[in-house]
Amino acid sequence: MNTYVCRYCRQPSDPSAPTCPLCGAPVDIRSSVSDSGWVEQPPIRDMAEIQFGQSHVQIEGTTVPVAEFALAEQDSIYFSHHVLLWTDPQTRLGNMSMRGGWKRMMAGMPLIMVEAHGPGHLALSDNHAGEVIALPLQHGQRMWVREHRFLGATGNIRYDWEANNVWYDTGEDSQHQDIHYPMGQYGDIFAAQDRPGLLLLHSPGNTFIRDLGQGESLLIQPSALLYRDISVRAHMHLEYPRNQGFAFWSPRWSYHKVWVRLIGPGRVAVQSVYQPPEDYEAIRNSSYTTVHRW
Amino acid sequence: MTCGAPLDVRDKVSDSGWREAPRLRDMTEFRFSASTCQVEGELVPVAEISLSPQDGVFFEHHVLLWKDESVPLGSMKTAGGMKRTLGGMPLILTVANGPGRVAFSRDAPGELVVLPLHPGMELDVREHAFLLATHSIQYSFVRIKGLANVLHGGSGMFMDRFVTAQYPGLLILHGNGNVLERTLKPGEKILVEPGGFLYKDSSVAMQAVQLPLRTGMLGQHRMFLAEMTGPGRVGIQSMYVHHHSSE
Repeated sequence: MNTYVCRYCRQPSDPSAPTCPLCGAPVDIRSSVSDSGWVEQPPIRDMAEIQFGQSHVQIEGTTVPVAEFALAEQDSIYFSHHVLLWTDPQTRLGNMSMRGGWKRMMAGMPLIMVEAHGPGHLALSDNHAGEVIALPLQHGQRMWVREHRFLGATGNIRYDWEANNVWYDTGEDSQHQDIHYPMGQYGDIFAAQDRPGLLLLHSPGNTFIRDLGQGESLLIQPSALLYRDISVRAHMHLEYPRNQGFAFWSPRWSYHKVWVRLIGPGRVAVQSVYQPPEDYEAIRNSSYTTVHRW
Repeated sequence: MTCGAPLDVRDKVSDSGWREAPRLRDMTEFRFSASTCQVEGELVPVAEISLSPQDGVFFEHHVLLWKDESVPLGSMKTAGGMKRTLGGMPLILTVANGPGRVAFSRDAPGELVVLPLHPGMELDVREHAFLLATHSIQYSFVRIKGLANVLHGGSGMFMDRFVTAQYPGLLILHGNGNVLERTLKPGEKILVEPGGFLYKDSSVAMQAVQLPLRTGMLGQHRMFLAEMTGPGRVGIQSMYVHHHSSE
């Protein structure tokens, strides 16, 4: 009886294989855990294969990895059109339209996904140095993913999106307000339906994962959050460092730090490449926020 | 002439036949003519050339990282100046002659592709992807007319063409991200994102084909890929210059 559970994708796996057949993580390495409990997600080895349905995906390269799919006749995947690197002429491609087109366009999210049906080969790659993250989802499992990190998913994974509700506005008055979304305006929600599925993400830089216990909380850079279990809650947190003789001359400015507080239970993952939000404009209004003044 | 590829590693070929370009080990050194090239670094690699007195290399001037003071620089004028200017290609290439040391790099994570060219070879390379070439290689450029309105808003896509006549030469490219190569049989076709194209044998035909897909809010964008038809080699890069679909 196989009792091995992959420490990265949390699925029962094959201990005799060099890499987990479900997520591609190397099996024969020691876990790399920081003192504070972050587990480094090991990069998928060059040419490792991940099985899904009757098909598989092979990860090629290490700087900007390519996900090369060999699709069986009954399997399909979908993806945003701009990550398609190459395809066999015989692979059937079609549009997969989505609800909320206007909002998605305003938020800069892809409007139309492309569906690819087997049999055939095609390859996807993102345009940044980083890692491909493979998340096998069990039937009914749901995952929040930062926008623009999605690379591809199997056809049985339902794709939806929702407002992140982490925002603040700055500006002189209500006529000149500037709304900021430090975690992105919307988040992608993926859920496996009917049967297990595979979700592929592209993570710029390196990736670290951590399990939060019930009620355990953590402050992170908002744009560094890569994915989280739906059970993990998120809201904005502001810190005002102690003023040590320094003061802005205008009430438009203030010195603060914008965080996102994550509250368990559940798994969270961060990427090491991020864009810190502006910290100098006074915040006039915001979504639910906790504040700490040192 | 060698290419610096490690000999003690297995060939990495995907199930569909794409072969990874051999990743050159840090400080790998190899020879061409009477000169040597050493590759330094792995994230954004540098090619350091030690030129002998009878050798020279040409390159786009902005890839020059450093050089010995004594290394003379010259210019190599290219034909078709107006077309090149409109296509965003450098009008003048720079030539460095030995003896002395000179180093090159492009400012993007990726890998160097070392392509020794035997006499009588012709290779087409995406614009701004070549790092340097030895002076025995003849340089010209070609315009891919079929991709004109797809890729550059009407001005077309230019490719550098490198040809060896009676002498061999060495061509070094910089591929963004990872580089993969596949050899197409006669008549075999593959569809490639145009921004991912890196190089091909001139025997490989290339044209734009429209996919049965619409993108954009009202489906007003069309989606095109570059259709490559064998025989010959095709090289692609995984971090690509993305060309927006045409309206």
